[in-house]
Amino acid sequence: MPRPLLTLLSLEEAREVHCKAIEVLEKVGVKFEDREVAKTLLENGALERDGRVLIPEELINEAVKLAPKRIELYDRDGSRVATLGESASIFNPGSAAIKILDYESLEPRSPVMEDLKRLAVIVENMYFIDAQSTALVPGDVPMEIRDVVRLYPILKYSRKPIITGSFTVENLSIMLDFAKTVREDAWKRPFTIFDVCPSPPLSWSTLTSRNLVDLAKAGVPAEIISMPGLGSTSPTTIAGALIQHHAEVLSGIVLAQLASKNAPVIYGGSPLLAHPRYGTPVITAPEALLVSLAYRDLAKLIELPVHTYMGLSDSKLVDYQAGAESAYSSLLAAVSGFDVVSGPGMLEFESVFSFEKLVLDNELIGLVKRIRRGFDLSVDELAFDVIMDTVLSKSGNFLLHPHTRRMIRREIHLPRIWDTTPRSRWSKRSIYIEAHLEVERLLREGSTSPLEPEVERRLDALYIEVFKKAGVKPIFI
Amino acid sequence: MELFNAIVDGDPDKALSVANRLVERGFDVQRLVTEILVPAMRRVGELFDRGDYFIADVIACAEAFRRVFENVVRPRLGGSSARRLGVAVFGTVKGDIHDLGKTLAKIIFEVEGFEVVDLGVDVSVEAFVEAVEKYNAKIIGVSALMTTTMIEQRRVIEELKKKGLRGRVIVIAGGAPVTEEWVREIGADICGDDAFKALKKVKELMGVN
Repeated sequence: MPRPLLTLLSLEEAREVHCKAIEVLEKVGVKFEDREVAKTLLENGALERDGRVLIPEELINEAVKLAPKRIELYDRDGSRVATLGESASIFNPGSAAIKILDYESLEPRSPVMEDLKRLAVIVENMYFIDAQSTALVPGDVPMEIRDVVRLYPILKYSRKPIITGSFTVENLSIMLDFAKTVREDAWKRPFTIFDVCPSPPLSWSTLTSRNLVDLAKAGVPAEIISMPGLGSTSPTTIAGALIQHHAEVLSGIVLAQLASKNAPVIYGGSPLLAHPRYGTPVITAPEALLVSLAYRDLAKLIELPVHTYMGLSDSKLVDYQAGAESAYSSLLAAVSGFDVVSGPGMLEFESVFSFEKLVLDNELIGLVKRIRRGFDLSVDELAFDVIMDTVLSKSGNFLLHPHTRRMIRREIHLPRIWDTTPRSRWSKRSIYIEAHLEVERLLREGSTSPLEPEVERRLDALYIEVFKKAGVKPIFI
Repeated sequence: MELFNAIVDGDPDKALSVANRLVERGFDVQRLVTEILVPAMRRVGELFDRGDYFIADVIACAEAFRRVFENVVRPRLGGSSARRLGVAVFGTVKGDIHDLGKTLAKIIFEVEGFEVVDLGVDVSVEAFVEAVEKYNAKIIGVSALMTTTMIEQRRVIEELKKKGLRGRVIVIAGGAPVTEEWVREIGADICGDDAFKALKKVKELMGVN
């Protein structure tokens, strides 16, 4: 079946990079800010030199063997959504924007809890975006609970799986409680994935390493997201950044498996170019994308589910640049077979979110998934008889042949918001305006997936408790 | 001119050997600083502003400068004339281990005559404030390279206020993600998204050239 599939590294090249990364872990090692976490490795055969933990190859190989090759992902209500590890292409909004792009003023503003509800409702109704994510950080709640409260509107209004993460060691357990309140067997049939990021180069903060250990112990899927900054926090060369990236992810896999055997982990990443003049991140730089495409092949080598940040843009507006960056990165993500793709809706180096862009990205992902689906070479699809019949007896008009009607819905994907109309039917509105109208329509008419009243009461109780601890009144949405 | 070029080219070895030769021939070290080293770093700043130089270039130039300054100039300087503008305390906030921008700022401030106390990375709010008191600092540079750690900058300012020190120091909120809006919001004085710009503003506020 003809299907576009992109591979960057040959098996031999992947093995070479893998071995180099192991050498990095053996000779350079990893720094763990948290002493207890470092001890976990040291007690299991790792060595310490000058405050760095050197991880021997056997430990790495053992951990890679223990990590599950497949993770079944479910929705909030317990239905299976996808098998991660089989190129699932689960697109979800980017993570943790501190601003939202205001449609009227085109200026970024601080998101409020009400925006988080809007986001949950919109994503619930996005046909091609298969998972939610805690994409907005609300500015109207105290700093110390901003990670936790993001889960509330999603759990309350949406069924879709959730990609999220905690900002502190303590809040992780509260966030896990939120998920468990909604469904008792949330870990047996997981519907949440938590991101943890090592700090490049080759070090783990207390927060992320403890989060990873706690997630492994709880059996919750953790996405290990290394983020080498080419030219500042990693070598400036793609290959150098790749080796460092792989070494960091391997160190996370080792830690997770030592914390709990068979802990579910996803090989993730967010490589970026550190702008040579400004030092700021450029996520959609071609060099960063090449690192991602290459680590996808490394994940394949060690047979792990794999995640990426694509389908996003570094532009400040929903403009040509935003469309182009989102399109080429989404397409690359789909045709190289990532399982989880975070990014839709995101602008300006993962810091500004746009609802309008999310709607347009949903369209884009529909097109990208269509390309990814490829086509078949069955007799019915080759349509030899149809050609003969139509050309010889229907004056060459395929509209008249029943084969056209029978196959058209299966074969053809049409965008809904993107403009493919003839000029005579054109609305004469720009795509940005069309996207905004769709946002408004979804907020007016979109469906939600309410919880059972009893479950909602329990969730509300936890939510109230979180605000109470922070000493402020809860914001109900 | 050879020393000037060695600094601007970011060649520490050459800069050091040329500087040594100049001083051995009797070239005055004060003049070395004011007529060659500082103008060379200014030139580096211009090249950076113009877009010809990347951060990596600036760091190499700063290293060339530092090598000459530490090995040739400092041992020959009498008293604290090269530190005439006072103490600046620099550090990267708690939870953040990025120090590229801070290191750059440190060297640039040293060139211009500040004594820079570098607190390193992952610095607690208390450590910042204690250093301001201990060194009687005129400037505090609080650096954060991640949007998630920028909040610590606000905490440092709040702590300075609590200790009654806020009025005594110029606060630079440093780091690439810092914006003028953020600086206003947290009540800092200077947006340190660019070290050269920050230095210029510090000198304006202090009324020195």
